[in-house]
Amino acid sequence: MQLRRPTFGTLAATVFVPLAVLALSAAPARADDPTEASARLTFFREPSTDNKGITVIHPQVDAASPIGGGLGIAAGWEADAVSGATPAVFGPHVGVDAITSATQFHDFRQQVHGGFTYNRPDAGIGASYAYGWENDYKSHSLSATARDDLYDHNFTLALSYSHNWDSVCDYNNSAAVTPADLHPLTSSAHCFKTDPYIATKPLAIDALETSLSWTMTPRLVVQGGGTIQVLDGFQSNPYRSVLVGSIREPQEHEPTYRQRYAVFARAAYAFPQWRASGVGMARLYEDSWEVQAVTGDVVVNKYLGPVMLLSLRGHYHLQSGASFYRNGEAYRVLGPAGQYWTGDRELSPMSNYLVGGRMAFLRRPQQERSSWFAEMEADVKYELLVYHVDSVDAPNADRPYAHILQASFALRF
Amino acid sequence: MHSASIFSRGKRLVRRLALVAIAAAAVASNGCAASKWTVRPHQRELLADRIMSLDAIGQEQAAEQHILENREGAVGGNGTAGGGCGCN
Repeated sequence: MQLRRPTFGTLAATVFVPLAVLALSAAPARADDPTEASARLTFFREPSTDNKGITVIHPQVDAASPIGGGLGIAAGWEADAVSGATPAVFGPHVGVDAITSATQFHDFRQQVHGGFTYNRPDAGIGASYAYGWENDYKSHSLSATARDDLYDHNFTLALSYSHNWDSVCDYNNSAAVTPADLHPLTSSAHCFKTDPYIATKPLAIDALETSLSWTMTPRLVVQGGGTIQVLDGFQSNPYRSVLVGSIREPQEHEPTYRQRYAVFARAAYAFPQWRASGVGMARLYEDSWEVQAVTGDVVVNKYLGPVMLLSLRGHYHLQSGASFYRNGEAYRVLGPAGQYWTGDRELSPMSNYLVGGRMAFLRRPQQERSSWFAEMEADVKYELLVYHVDSVDAPNADRPYAHILQASFALRF
Repeated sequence: MHSASIFSRGKRLVRRLALVAIAAAAVASNGCAASKWTVRPHQRELLADRIMSLDAIGQEQAAEQHILENREGAVGGNGTAGGGCGCN
């Protein structure tokens, strides 16, 4: 059952305005944060037992600097170079109607973003804008954050809100009488151009997250919070078809409205005798498509000597499937579960776990005044992400794991 | 996947956590009692260390969210501005 759509503008204003007033009326500006420049490269590789799988190369470049009076500005760029192969039709993976052929694809996405922060000793606000574009998708995003420290910095109340105005390229299905008549998009070549066979669909995304942090002891910080996200618009994969019954292969058809809720708790605990810490997170999630999920994350940090920092991470996620999800064989034999159908692994009952580690090299000159930088950091990270889907006919069952390799370099002045 | 029992237990846990949070907020909102729960500035040496941050570095967190939000059917819990250290 869906709740009445919340008026996000009113809600955000109701909470943001008092926090912003607190931030602007507090004591004099605090000492400025350092100027920082950083670059990061992530390599994501998800091999397949059937085809060449998916490869993503994700570079990021960011810079941030104070400009005085508590004000700071930031800007950055990132990209995704995606290549690989994926089946154009979701259906059974084994049997006489098995679909194993895959379509090769290449895509390049870019995003630029910029924003400002204004910090006082007890409060702060920030706002940013991002624009992302690729052949078949465009996105404008505005976000704002506010925080207020309470009771001698022992509590922090924080809030963030963002709104996306996204545009998705799709095949012009205006002539379709029923969802079973929907045709998939076959190419992005004519997207966002005047073409009678191409349509542009809107997608609006509102996200609101709030948290309360508490410095409980000199060694322990805890945080609790909640997230609401509302998506309104076209959310299907325009290229994907689903074998529904044994004959029809209409375009994936997902609801156009989704409410998503999460509550979470996080904590960090210091082990000074070992120069180490443990950071944990637990999250419960539910949405209006009836996906429910439990997620846990643990990171252990340990200094090795004066310049090395080792971090080990474990992550586990368990979720149920969406109400309209069926595996490929069930869609073929039983047909759709209601008026929607999907071939999205992230809407199927599944679990995954992630294990990995990061080694950071930190260089802090003892006499900062004689050095041209205050801190230099270089790190490398490797993580293994393993998926467990519910059957051999589940989406992407041929891609059981992924490697994540990352390297970064940052300078602070 | 025993998701039904997991979620019913999860909901009970959330209710208990909510009661604890309400009790904590009641204590925190009492000015006289709040001092008992205060960590003084000179006690924040450990909390100021980067390894005590609840949030990863912004750029790293963005990359991580980018991967997991495209590989899991859930969102949220990534933290908002601030972090509770109070080390400004």
